Amino acid sequence: MTKITVNGREIDADPKKPLIAACHENGIDVPMYCYHPGLRPVGSCRICQVEVKQGDAPARVVASCRTPVAEGMIVNTDSPKAHDVRRECLEFLLKNHPLDCPICDKAGECDLQDYSFAEGQTKGRTHEPRRKLEKRKSLGDVIVLDEERCILCSRCVRFFEDVTKKPQLTVADLGSRSVISTFLDKPLKGNYQGNIADICPVGALTLKRFRFQARVWNLSKHLSTCAECSRGCSVTAEVLRGGDTKRFRPRFNPKVNQWWMCDTGRFAFAHVNAADRAVALRRTADGLEACDLDAALSAAASALRGKSNVAVVLSPFATNEEAAAAKALAARLGAKTCFVSPAPNALKDDFLHTGDPCPNRRGLTDLGFAGLAAAEVAGAIAGAGAVVLAGERVVELLGAERVAALTGTRVVLFDTHCVDAAALDACIGVPVHVEKDGHWTNVEGHLGRLTIARGAPRGVRALDENLKRLSELVSPAGAKA
Amino acid sequence: MVIVRRKELSLRERLYLPEIARGLSITFRKLFEKPITRQYPEEPLPKDEVTRGQPRLVVKDDGNIACVSCGMCEIACPAYAITIDGGETDRPIEREPKKFEIDMLRCILCGFCEEACPKDAIFMSDELELADYSRAALIYDLEKLKRPKSALQKRIDYVYRLNNRWRKSSSTS
Repeated sequence: MTKITVNGREIDADPKKPLIAACHENGIDVPMYCYHPGLRPVGSCRICQVEVKQGDAPARVVASCRTPVAEGMIVNTDSPKAHDVRRECLEFLLKNHPLDCPICDKAGECDLQDYSFAEGQTKGRTHEPRRKLEKRKSLGDVIVLDEERCILCSRCVRFFEDVTKKPQLTVADLGSRSVISTFLDKPLKGNYQGNIADICPVGALTLKRFRFQARVWNLSKHLSTCAECSRGCSVTAEVLRGGDTKRFRPRFNPKVNQWWMCDTGRFAFAHVNAADRAVALRRTADGLEACDLDAALSAAASALRGKSNVAVVLSPFATNEEAAAAKALAARLGAKTCFVSPAPNALKDDFLHTGDPCPNRRGLTDLGFAGLAAAEVAGAIAGAGAVVLAGERVVELLGAERVAALTGTRVVLFDTHCVDAAALDACIGVPVHVEKDGHWTNVEGHLGRLTIARGAPRGVRALDENLKRLSELVSPAGAKA
Repeated sequence: MVIVRRKELSLRERLYLPEIARGLSITFRKLFEKPITRQYPEEPLPKDEVTRGQPRLVVKDDGNIACVSCGMCEIACPAYAITIDGGETDRPIEREPKKFEIDMLRCILCGFCEEACPKDAIFMSDELELADYSRAALIYDLEKLKRPKSALQKRIDYVYRLNNRWRKSSSTS
């Protein structure tokens, strides 16, 4: 560790990291555009300049992202000279930046906006017209580039060079005509394109799927975990006015996904935002009818009571808490347990995606649930007296036709959507993963936290709570089944 | 505690009739003067450029809405009356509102939306009447809010004059 002084405070800095990282890690704010902790520093934007005094030499202003820390360095991030230099940099960055914040998706979380308010001038001094470039340039299926807004920080270029190791972007042309471009104008490829919209410090790179969908200050942000593979990337679920989840964004987690996530997880809204959610249904003489939760639970209990050869089948999306409740229920019923384990998909890569679409495989396996393919599960439950299917998307993964084909078996379903099956006695709604608290264990054993980003539909309670109540109803505590 | 002493009445006052005659004389005199009350629905209120009625959205002369759904009025609204969902358009401005709702029951006609708008797209019209049979019908949508620019021109000119100190030219064309 190297000792340096920043703004009169002595701090221990990692000599392998640049000065700006030392400042940030110690809670000292230094503005940055081109620097990103996950990328190689290039020092192109110059907004991170601070005043540094070393030894007897007079203090000079240096770019803190390209300056290694040195013993005894005296740094001042707040000196009038540093502020002056940064303000001049901002003036040049803003010279050709269109002031279209009202239509820009980045407005509200834009670094250029923030530092302009903090340090910039209130009035521009140029009279020349601003540079006109392409406003809506499509870079593949995921990203739209607005060349006018780009400040050429080259974070996106370096993302493909440093992180995915497959360079796809470059700064084309020279001087004031420089623009970000793909090689030969080919569309971007790969499953990690969305990240460049996250790291873009301005609104130059935006997501096609999120374009103009919401103002970012209207989104409430909640920590969550990606459901698309067993990596379990830490994400933020961003919900618009308590309704639809509008985007998933990676959340820094040094042990799992650093700053990144794949596009499959980023755009996994289809299930999360699905409409027509089941709340509570039970079978009566005229078929399935909606009822209240208590009635559905007691219908479920009477379907299970006294049955021999019962099976509890979990969805791979079940949290550890739900799995524990399911295990307790299975113990009361003397039931077999397993979870539906979908086949690995072709999305596996050497970066984040594991190809295993089962976010809690490790957690469920640790709790003693065996992962069986859908066909195996169907074989295992075929002769059972009763079966409890529990967890979001369990029917979808098992195959609705397999559930419909069950005869002689009574089915109790806990899922987001009901299924039309003669064997079904009760269906009770469950929250999707952005609507519940809990944990998933990822493939390496790290716990991923889920929090309630939005309320579940009215009447839908947590699955573990419902499973606990069901075990009470099936065989009250004390009475041995 | 206040002690109120009853006024000693004079004989003339105690006689009662002269005072009645005096009162009625005022009443009859007023019958021939110009009335100061207004027969409201039949006789509308005077409307001026300073009248701050319900907010309305400007439709520019080329037929397009001036609003780009930036959400500034939504965030400025102290009564949370405005809800906007944006979307993409092929026009050069790229963005336009897909849903723009003002809950007129919530709107307090404060004019903050007009002040917040960076695109000169929302102005306080001179429309003040608000009545309907259901609450849902008083949540005005895009179609109910759109007004041609000419209908709001007086107010637009007034706001420009008012803000002339810091704003010289129009961004609404």
